[in-house]
Amino acid sequence: MKGIRGISKLSVTKLPSGLMIASLDNYFPASRIGVFVKAGCRYESPENQGVTHLLRLAANLTTKGASAFRICRGVEAVGGSLGVTSSRENMIYSVDCLRDHIDTVMEYLINVTTAPEFRPWEVSDLTPRVKMDKALAAQTPQMGVIEGVHGAAYKNALSNSLYCPDYMVGQVNADHMHNFIQNNFTSARMALVGLGVDHNVLKQVGEQFLNIRSGMGTAGTKAQYRGGEVRVQNGSSLVHSVVVSEGAAVGTDEAMAFSVLQHVLGAGPHVKRGSNPTSKLFQGVAKATADPFDASAFNSNYSDSGLFGVYTISQSAAAGDVIKAAISQVKAVTGGVSEADLTRAKTQLKAEYLMSLESSEGLLDAMGLQALSGGVYHSPEAIAQKIDSVSATDVANAANKFVSGKKSMASSGNLIKTPFVDEI
Amino acid sequence: MLSLAARSGALSPYLQATNVAVNGSLKALLPGAVKGDSLLKSSSQKAPAISACVSAPGGIRMAHTDIKVPDFSDYRRPELLDPKKSSQESSESRKTFSYLVTGATAVVGVYTAKTVATQFISSMSASADVLAMSKIEVKLGEIPEGKNMTFKWRGKPLFIRHRTEKEIATEEAVDMAMLRDPQHDKDRVANPKWIIVIGVCTHLGCVPIANAGDYGGYYCPCHGSHYDASGRIRKGPAPLNLEVPYYEFTDDDTVVVG
Repeated sequence: MKGIRGISKLSVTKLPSGLMIASLDNYFPASRIGVFVKAGCRYESPENQGVTHLLRLAANLTTKGASAFRICRGVEAVGGSLGVTSSRENMIYSVDCLRDHIDTVMEYLINVTTAPEFRPWEVSDLTPRVKMDKALAAQTPQMGVIEGVHGAAYKNALSNSLYCPDYMVGQVNADHMHNFIQNNFTSARMALVGLGVDHNVLKQVGEQFLNIRSGMGTAGTKAQYRGGEVRVQNGSSLVHSVVVSEGAAVGTDEAMAFSVLQHVLGAGPHVKRGSNPTSKLFQGVAKATADPFDASAFNSNYSDSGLFGVYTISQSAAAGDVIKAAISQVKAVTGGVSEADLTRAKTQLKAEYLMSLESSEGLLDAMGLQALSGGVYHSPEAIAQKIDSVSATDVANAANKFVSGKKSMASSGNLIKTPFVDEI
Repeated sequence: MLSLAARSGALSPYLQATNVAVNGSLKALLPGAVKGDSLLKSSSQKAPAISACVSAPGGIRMAHTDIKVPDFSDYRRPELLDPKKSSQESSESRKTFSYLVTGATAVVGVYTAKTVATQFISSMSASADVLAMSKIEVKLGEIPEGKNMTFKWRGKPLFIRHRTEKEIATEEAVDMAMLRDPQHDKDRVANPKWIIVIGVCTHLGCVPIANAGDYGGYYCPCHGSHYDASGRIRKGPAPLNLEVPYYEFTDDDTVVVG
C-alpha cells in the first residue's frame, strides 16, 4: 500500500477472528491508538435505549485490571488522554500520548474496551453526567434539529438518538451495558488502529486481548426510511430547520455524487466572515431575504442508508422564504450544473478530505473507518480520483433524487412562519 | 469511504458525540508544522459535548462558582456591617480599642503571672512554725529590779535586765570618747528600764556572766571582756558592744523579741 505522504507504509492485517489491525507511522512525537467498534446507537434495542450514551460516559469506570482512579491517574501521569466518540454507526475509543508511553495507555485502553466491570454504584453515579451531557447538547439547536430529523426520517435503528432519552435516564443499569457489550463488541466488528505504533505490537495486542468475543454479534436491523416531521416550538428568534430526503449509503458511487452535490450547493463557509460567493444556496437565499441567515447542504451516509438535504438558520419571520429559496436552488441543480461549478465543488471536496487527514485525529478516524468497512484501504490519491470521476449527470441525478424523494423535516425556534413539510 | 468530517462538512460535529474520559495535556499539533501550510478548517471533529465540565470523575476541574460565602454579620463590629462604606474612617478607633484591650490584658496577665510565680516560690521559704520559733515573748513582770534573766532565743542566750534608776543614770552619763564602740545608752534601749541584749561576747563568742565585772554589767570569763549595764564594751579584748536585737513592747508587761 502506498504510504500517506510517503512517510511510512500503512500496514493492514486481518486476524482470523475478523479483527482488523491497521497501523501507520507518521513519526510524530505523539502516538494515537483507537479501537473502532461497529456499535453505534443504531444497534440499541427498544429495551436498552440510551445504553451507548452510558457506555460513552463509562470509559473511565473500574475495569478488571485497573480501578477508575488508576486509569485516570495512570493516563494523566503520562500526559495522555482517553476519550470515546460515538456516532450512529460506530464507537471509537481512542488514547493519545507521547510515543514512549504508549504501552501504558494501551494497557488502559484494552482494559476499558474488553474488561469493564460496570459496578452498579459507579453506573448509577453516571446519571448526573448523563443529565449534564443532555443539557449541554440542548444548548446547541443544531444538535436538537439533527437528532430530530433522524428520529422523524427513520422507523428504527437510525432513528435512535445519540443521547439517552429522558425516560431512560437513571434506568440504564450495568446489565444493559454488559449485554450490549456482549452482543456488539465482537472481534469481527472491531478494528484496532494505531498511529505511530509498531504494527507487530498492535498485532500481538489484538491477538491476545481483543479476541475474546468472536462472531458477528447481534445483527443490526436494516434502517427503514419513512419521512416524517418534527417541530419544536420554543422562544428562540432564530429558526433552525433541516429538510432532507433519503440519500446514499456509504461507499457507493451515489454517495460520492451526493458529496459533490453538497459542495456544489455549499457546505459551510470557506473564508471566515466572507460573503460565501461559491455557495449556490447562500447566494440564492440572499435574494429572498435581507435578514441574517445561513444555509448549507446537509449530507450523512450510513452503512445502508443516508440523508441528504438543506440546513437553514433564519429569522423566524423569514423562515418560510429562506427554506423555499433553498429548496428551489436544489431544484435548479437538477436541470444541470456548469463545468466550472462542478470542478470547483470537486476541488473543495478533495481539499476538505485531504485537510481532514492532516491532523492525527482525522487520519486515525479515516483509517479506522476504512478498516471497519472491510479492510480495503483506499489511499487519498484513489479517493481523489473517485471524486474526479463524478460527472455532471451523476450530480443532477442526485439532486433529482432529493427533489422527488419523500421528505423529512425538523425545525426548532419560533415556528409561526415555518412551513410544514407538505407545504414545501 | 470518506471520513465523517469530509462527508458532512460543517455539520459533522453534530453527527457524533464525544466524551473525554481523561483530558490529557497533548494539544493537537499544528499540521502545518510538518509540511507546508494548512488551511484546515477550524471546525474540529469533536462534538459540542466535549466541553470539559462533563467528565468530573475523569480528572477535569470545574470552576467552583457554586460556593457561597457565609454571612458573617453576627460577628462583625457595627461600624463594619455595611460593605459599601470604607473601613478607613473607623480604623483608628478600632485599632485603639483593640490595642488598649490587649495592653491591659497583658499588664494584668503579667501581674497575675508574677503573683502565681511568687506564691509558688515563696512556698519554699521557712514555714510558719519555723518562723514562730524565731520570736520570743517575755513577761517582764517576773523579772525583779537589778536582776538579769537569760532566755534561749534562736539558739543564742538572750539577756533581759531590769535596770535600776542608778544604773540608768550611770549609763546615760558615760562619756562617749571613752568607749571603744561609742553608742549612747538611749540608742541601745527603747525603754531605759529594760536592757535586752544577745548574750554573746563580741570577741570570740563566749557567754558573759551577768552582774559581774568592773562596770556593773557583764564579764566574759574567757578573755576578760568587761561590759557595762548597757552592754557596751569597757575593758578587754572585745571590739564591739553586745548586740541589741529587734524587740517591741506589745504592752507594758510583755516584750516580743525577734
